[in-house]
Amino acid sequence: MARFIVRRILYSFVTLFILSATIFLIVRLTGDPVALMAEASARPEDLERIRHQWGLDRSWPVQYVTFMQNALQGELGKSFNYRLPVSQLYFQRLPNSLTLGLAATLISLLIGIPAGIISAVKVNTAWDNVAKGIALLGLSIPGFWLGLVLILIFSVWLRWLPTSGAGDWRHVVMPAVALGWYFAASMLRLTRSSMLEVLGSEYIKLARLKGLPDFVVIAMHAFKNALIPVFTLAGVNMVVMVNAAVIIEVIFAWPGIGRLLYEGIFQRDFPLVQGVVIMAGFMIIAINLVVDILYAFIDPRIRLAR
Amino acid sequence: MRFPRLVSRGFVPWVAVALILTAVVATLMPGSAPVSAAAKGKIVLAWHAGFASRWLDPQEHDGTATPDNFFTAIHDALIKNQGTQLYDHLALAEKFTMAPDSKTATFTLRKGTKFHNGDPVTPQDVKFSYENYRGAKADVFKRRTERVDIVDGSTVRFVFKEPFLDFPFLFGTANVAGAAWIVPEKYYKQVGADAFKQKPIGAGPYKLVNHEPGVKVEMEAFDGYYRPVNVKQLVMVSVPEAATRVAMLERGEADIVYFVPGELISKVGKLPGVTLAPVLSGSFFVEFPGFQDPKNPFHDKRVREAVSLAIDRKAMNQAETTGLGKVTGNWINPDVQYAIEWPEFPRNVDKAKQLLREAGYPNGFDIEWLTPLPTFYSRGERLVAQLREVGIRARMQTMERGIFLQRLQGGLKEFPGVQIILHGARIGGSWSFWYEGHFKCGGFNSRDRICVKDLDGKFDQYERSINPAERKKLAEEIQRGILENYYLVPVFRHAFVNAIGPRVALQKWQDVFPTITTGYAYPWEDLKVKDQ
Repeated sequence: MARFIVRRILYSFVTLFILSATIFLIVRLTGDPVALMAEASARPEDLERIRHQWGLDRSWPVQYVTFMQNALQGELGKSFNYRLPVSQLYFQRLPNSLTLGLAATLISLLIGIPAGIISAVKVNTAWDNVAKGIALLGLSIPGFWLGLVLILIFSVWLRWLPTSGAGDWRHVVMPAVALGWYFAASMLRLTRSSMLEVLGSEYIKLARLKGLPDFVVIAMHAFKNALIPVFTLAGVNMVVMVNAAVIIEVIFAWPGIGRLLYEGIFQRDFPLVQGVVIMAGFMIIAINLVVDILYAFIDPRIRLAR
Repeated sequence: MRFPRLVSRGFVPWVAVALILTAVVATLMPGSAPVSAAAKGKIVLAWHAGFASRWLDPQEHDGTATPDNFFTAIHDALIKNQGTQLYDHLALAEKFTMAPDSKTATFTLRKGTKFHNGDPVTPQDVKFSYENYRGAKADVFKRRTERVDIVDGSTVRFVFKEPFLDFPFLFGTANVAGAAWIVPEKYYKQVGADAFKQKPIGAGPYKLVNHEPGVKVEMEAFDGYYRPVNVKQLVMVSVPEAATRVAMLERGEADIVYFVPGELISKVGKLPGVTLAPVLSGSFFVEFPGFQDPKNPFHDKRVREAVSLAIDRKAMNQAETTGLGKVTGNWINPDVQYAIEWPEFPRNVDKAKQLLREAGYPNGFDIEWLTPLPTFYSRGERLVAQLREVGIRARMQTMERGIFLQRLQGGLKEFPGVQIILHGARIGGSWSFWYEGHFKCGGFNSRDRICVKDLDGKFDQYERSINPAERKKLAEEIQRGILENYYLVPVFRHAFVNAIGPRVALQKWQDVFPTITTGYAYPWEDLKVKDQ
């Protein structure tokens, strides 16, 4: 088991290293950030001065080594745009993003799981068709459109909810619905297929043969086993929602990490984009690591097979 | 009316003494200007982009027409653009004189002005702010300034190496440079430049209460300001999505929203109690990169004129700003020194075709790319369609803003062959900043894409001249030369359409947007909420 864990941790470090190198390169391929940091009428010598000030005049390998050295000490650089350490900016926004991510995850679970179960249990019925319709709509309606429609209905027409910004629970409702809607659809589809697979398995047939009531078969036997992949996906989805809810956060002027990333991309704020992507990657890798280790604990075949 | 008992008990003299004492104490108390007592209410401004923290520090003015929205609330300058004054509104200075030889500029500080931390604004702060300034045009100020003298407790003199006629324009225009904006030396040095951007202290009408980087700036009326500040709380919130800004206005969450895009203008105009504020902003004009090359079709003046004749400026203005912009004859905004008035250019498709025939292009010709200023792509599309009518066939190239700026800085090699650029610019102060930026050979933006030696020669003469009459004459000659030869072809003046909600007191939108040199709602201290 120990060897398994060490190996997984090593894989995680390698993944993180590849991610850091990739994002480091990709942001630099977008062009020179100095063009956006200086006035439009800046002279070449001014541009050079700014480049030097931010260390952009050094070669890419040197910049990368410096970046990694700082990152290993927990420092992700200083934002060009905000003149603040990226980690400080990130953790300032993190509570808002966690709030939104948790709320959206909850909505996606509350819609996706029950609808997925009903769809699987009532397969090929009108219930199933309705659920499939919901899934289709969820996956095909763009989040920005849904967000604007929600604002129009619930803020402008009904005046129930504030249009934007962060504050009390009322501010969270619309962005969480707009964000969670898409993930609810994917959750629904996964729950449905997972349930269908479990419902067709031998032990479920045995349970039915034993005369257990349908409710008990579904709730106690099928549902529990079908949930494993669903919760795995929910964890990863939540990390994505916390770190990359770019469009929803822009539409609702939600002060979260997604909007920070959006601003970083538009301003070519290299340290900011690198920092946010690496933090998101770190979270996903950490969650996967924990899940892998838990799986290995639960199912010895996994650790033995590897 | 009778007051026998009161009089008999000596009440009136006591009241008189109390009133006099109260008046004396109130006068002597710091920050007892009439401001705080009157300031009430709250105004929320929905800003149309992200916030950059550097915009809170005038020492690092980035030269764009953006930071002044924030400076003008938190900070103050010796002189500034305000209302219809282009550069010389007296602010922290109560007196300002340029020497007749333009070799010195002397400012007398207004008495009793303070920073938000209570420290007085001193000549030493002025000297520090100028000498430490490292933003846009800093090199020009440094190159041309010999020293800054503190004459006495309230007077500062800038001594130049040579006559510096443009000094007041560069110095006093908030959307050009930030050297006139005074920061408290002690605090700035104590916290450092980066921390200052997070918690700036200025001498402006509003003091910072809360700053969430990139999200929100909350301010409160500064009761030590030398002018009355009417509204108690001023909040600026970043709301990048236009539809959300409009919804905020509709719901009363915002009182002023900036930048209502064309497709939302008519809807916003119909909202009850909402006033549209179509502030005339930047000018859009056509540039022909490398037209000086004889092989370039645009080398021929007739072809450039044909382009001008092909443009339907009124239709463009109507479609892009619902007619709230303005078709003007000059590519330089009229709100700068020495800008000339010029008649509107006509549209005449037949004449355009005829000119093309005469120039040897009976079937028109192809253009590699037409590149509009990001993000005004629809304007580029309209221009492409209008040019096609006369036989000039162009493909449109869209660029992300950073790429566009980078390629402009790369010069002609970035725009090879036959190309057109649809530019837009808003530059304050003087006509010469426009020329220097967008026309001069080797200029900041024009680089080597435009080179007209005789006009550049005149411009050099203009820069050397210390005779205002001669400078004015040269400025007019040069502008005429550009327009008569269609070196740059003006299109229209863009309207930066804002909207004002029902809580803001106004008779007309100009009461909220009185400053002609900006699209923003300053001076902030003059804003009022209803019932004030």
